[in-house]
Amino acid sequence: MWLLPSSIIVFTIVLAIPMSRYMAKIMDGRYRPPRVFQWCERHLDSGQQNWKQYTLALLVFNTLMFVFGYTVLALQPWMPLNPRGLGMLAPSTIFNSVISFMTNTNLQHYSGEVNLSNFSQIFFVIFNQFVSAAVGMCALAAIIRAFRGESTVGNYFVDMWRAVAYIFLPIAVILGVLFLWQGMPMTINHSVDQVMTLEPGAMGATDTGQPKPQTLVVGPVAAEVPIMMLGTNGGGFYGMNEAHPFANPSALSNFLVMFGMMFFPFALVLMYGRMLGRVRHAIVIFSVMLLLFAGTIVWAIHFDTMKPNPGLTAHPEARAFKIAVPTAPGGTQTITLPAVAGLPVDQHLGNLEGKELRFGTSAGATFAAATVDVTCGAVNCEHDSLNPIAALSPMAGMWLNCIYGGKGVGMINLLLFLIIGVFLAGQMVGRTPEYLGKKIGAREMKLAMIALLVHPIMILGPSGLFAATNWGMKAENNPAAHGLSEIVYQFSSASANNGSAFDGLGVSYGFNNNPNPAPEAVPWDLATGLVMLFSRYLPIIAPIAMAAFLGMKKSTPFGLGTLRDDTFTFGCLLFGTIVIVGALLFLPVAALGPLAEHLGPIPFGG
Amino acid sequence: MRTYVSKSILLLSLSVLVCCLIYPLAVWAIGQTFFPFTANGSIVAGPDGKPVGSILIAQPLTKDEYFWPRPSAASYDASASSSSALAASNYLLRNRVATMIGPIVKYGSGSKAGQLVAPDIEVWFQKDQYHGQPHVVAQWADAHNELAQAWVSADPAHAQYVNEWAQTHQGMVAEWIKQNPATLHPQAADLAVLFFENFSKDNPGRFPSEVLKATPDGKTQTVIESAANGTDIQATFFDMWRQDHPDAPLAAVPGDMVTTSGSGLDPDITLENAEYQLDRVASKWAADLKRDPAQVRSEINQMIKADAYAPMGGLFGEKIVNVLQVNLTLRKRYGVPPA
Repeated sequence: MWLLPSSIIVFTIVLAIPMSRYMAKIMDGRYRPPRVFQWCERHLDSGQQNWKQYTLALLVFNTLMFVFGYTVLALQPWMPLNPRGLGMLAPSTIFNSVISFMTNTNLQHYSGEVNLSNFSQIFFVIFNQFVSAAVGMCALAAIIRAFRGESTVGNYFVDMWRAVAYIFLPIAVILGVLFLWQGMPMTINHSVDQVMTLEPGAMGATDTGQPKPQTLVVGPVAAEVPIMMLGTNGGGFYGMNEAHPFANPSALSNFLVMFGMMFFPFALVLMYGRMLGRVRHAIVIFSVMLLLFAGTIVWAIHFDTMKPNPGLTAHPEARAFKIAVPTAPGGTQTITLPAVAGLPVDQHLGNLEGKELRFGTSAGATFAAATVDVTCGAVNCEHDSLNPIAALSPMAGMWLNCIYGGKGVGMINLLLFLIIGVFLAGQMVGRTPEYLGKKIGAREMKLAMIALLVHPIMILGPSGLFAATNWGMKAENNPAAHGLSEIVYQFSSASANNGSAFDGLGVSYGFNNNPNPAPEAVPWDLATGLVMLFSRYLPIIAPIAMAAFLGMKKSTPFGLGTLRDDTFTFGCLLFGTIVIVGALLFLPVAALGPLAEHLGPIPFGG
Repeated sequence: MRTYVSKSILLLSLSVLVCCLIYPLAVWAIGQTFFPFTANGSIVAGPDGKPVGSILIAQPLTKDEYFWPRPSAASYDASASSSSALAASNYLLRNRVATMIGPIVKYGSGSKAGQLVAPDIEVWFQKDQYHGQPHVVAQWADAHNELAQAWVSADPAHAQYVNEWAQTHQGMVAEWIKQNPATLHPQAADLAVLFFENFSKDNPGRFPSEVLKATPDGKTQTVIESAANGTDIQATFFDMWRQDHPDAPLAAVPGDMVTTSGSGLDPDITLENAEYQLDRVASKWAADLKRDPAQVRSEINQMIKADAYAPMGGLFGEKIVNVLQVNLTLRKRYGVPPA
């Protein structure tokens, strides 16, 4: 039970330490690549950039990514590698998907094996998964250089190339081979059609009365899964993502997939320390993240793997509640929840609804917690069917959005909490707050707050709007509190650039000519698309600006009154800031969603 | 600015070249050269040499001679994976599990240990009393409007049955329309609750069930008739029976047997699940082959034990059995089950 998460964490940390050294070497330009790559670097280099030029280059390139992505998806019917003749997605869904993959979110309002050809999988999905992951990493590199007080923060195009070609690519090939060995398909065919099952006819009959074969969708899965995990993208080849046996064939592949998504987020924190020359400080940050990481995993396992699904168990106590009558002021009425007898189901393996068996007992809960902490968004079980209170763990991971977090941006988010923590501490002792020897002024605090507040506003605002209107109510697939959870989860996932979902929510339009799309698919496409856009770029641009302004200031020498940032006390300060500032914002909605469902009548509705 | 656009285009082109051409081609070449079996979907062949499916993907089985996989929210469609996405609090989850358990659950201890519960559900149902109130079916439809409507929508024959009822009960339908002015032309599903309330009063202890009937030309046809027993009743009303008998000692069924997996294509079942199915599988093969049931049972028991494996060699979980694998072993040993 506990061996699975702990062994993955230890394995990842052990490999992340040398990786961080290698990454620091690459991002500092101390690595000499083979000659052909040097040629690429020379031609990409447009000279050293200051923070504004660097940000502009980032935005220009991301705009181009949007155009390219939209074109690839819109032209799907006319592109090669489409033997099943798949049509074009609805325009709103293309808009959503392109932003989703460009922003490293990989929220999917379509189903991979149903809606995308192999061409789109390679030229849209795989392309974005490599490149969008590098964007966040470059942003972090720019911030580090700004913190170091350098007036120029590097060259964006060279940084991108280094991240993609020297960091992601080699590791992706190694993982790809391991995944092939474990059973993932890797073929240009799109389906295996003529497979009659062991019991012909059990799949039903075709229109002509013949026994129906089982159509198996295959494709370049072993190429897509490595970068989808390494880039903390999470947008799967198949609709059910890493729960699908082709995308995750064994316990070992599940282990490696989890390692893949945690590897770079772990290594980036250490890289931050190495590049700043403050490894002890990075270790303090790493430890705070690790504590939160372990906390979310323990919470999920405790409430999902070690507890049965409450929908099937007995609730032997009848309960009565007095509530106010809305129509008669002052009047009360009593609501009685009768006792419920349990169904005879052996649940010693925990809640198995939506879980696969081959990964191991606690694998679903572990994955659910880890995937949101590192903002990957791949899933190996159905989050909608997690036990109500266990689902709080993935939601909290997205709300905090800095427990390692995505490529670079997680670390950036943590820096925001850190700056605020330092600021609060400075206020408490009545000293000008400073970080890395630089005094934090009003301008830096404003930028930090802008970046930090985007997240709750982008989650709670649209959630409230959708929950109150048909947009949300017609999309819910589960009653009462859980329906609200579905809405909140979707916007949390969009805003955290995570990409996992409570799959019950009806947000899929499908192909453009689909006669029966989900009724509110278009508003969902547009709203989550915009949320992803704002929640991606504002928290990248504002911190780069903040770091640049901070870096330009004169360093104050280290003195007796300096707040030391590499101590246990500092770790506690950081932990407290994250929990108090980050979590309190979302406590009310947590009470209305998962907590209410946990405490309320189960089963409900139907 | 122009530099940035041109450099962006160059970066995009180089990335496409490396990430979308060289990288996938490299992995593809390695896969097709060194791992051709897995790279093409892990397709396995049956005893006759023809492919019967992927060892990684669950497929539906209905014959008693085979072990059955976990239920699938995707109907085992390997071109559209799907989970149920049912929340624990959603009654539809509990209902799905209860309907699966009703016809197969047995008493675990007490004087009836080992016997099916189903006959007792029918006897209780025919008495038509739930929580001391009459009309089980009416209470069921009142408490679970969605299930009543789902019954009507499940099959065109069901809807037709309700429409025929509506023809002969036009007064009631008119009254219903008066109370629900928003629905001037109610469909069969809209009338579901009204229909079941009325049906329950007219046919106490009975439920409209599917019955196989012989037609004049020698074929069989499914028709809807009011029945007092049958699997429909055992399945639909097991949960209500359970609420009236909360202390009846029932034998638990394995959890994975009644829960759908994340993909709907989980190829494995737990060893407990296989052992639970062992009686059914073994007795059927024994009857087919006209052999000693005890001996067949011990042979098949050895097969599932031999095929069982645990995730990561037992580090991460309990023993599971690949359903297609064990069924192929059965096929090789005992041949094709009779049609």
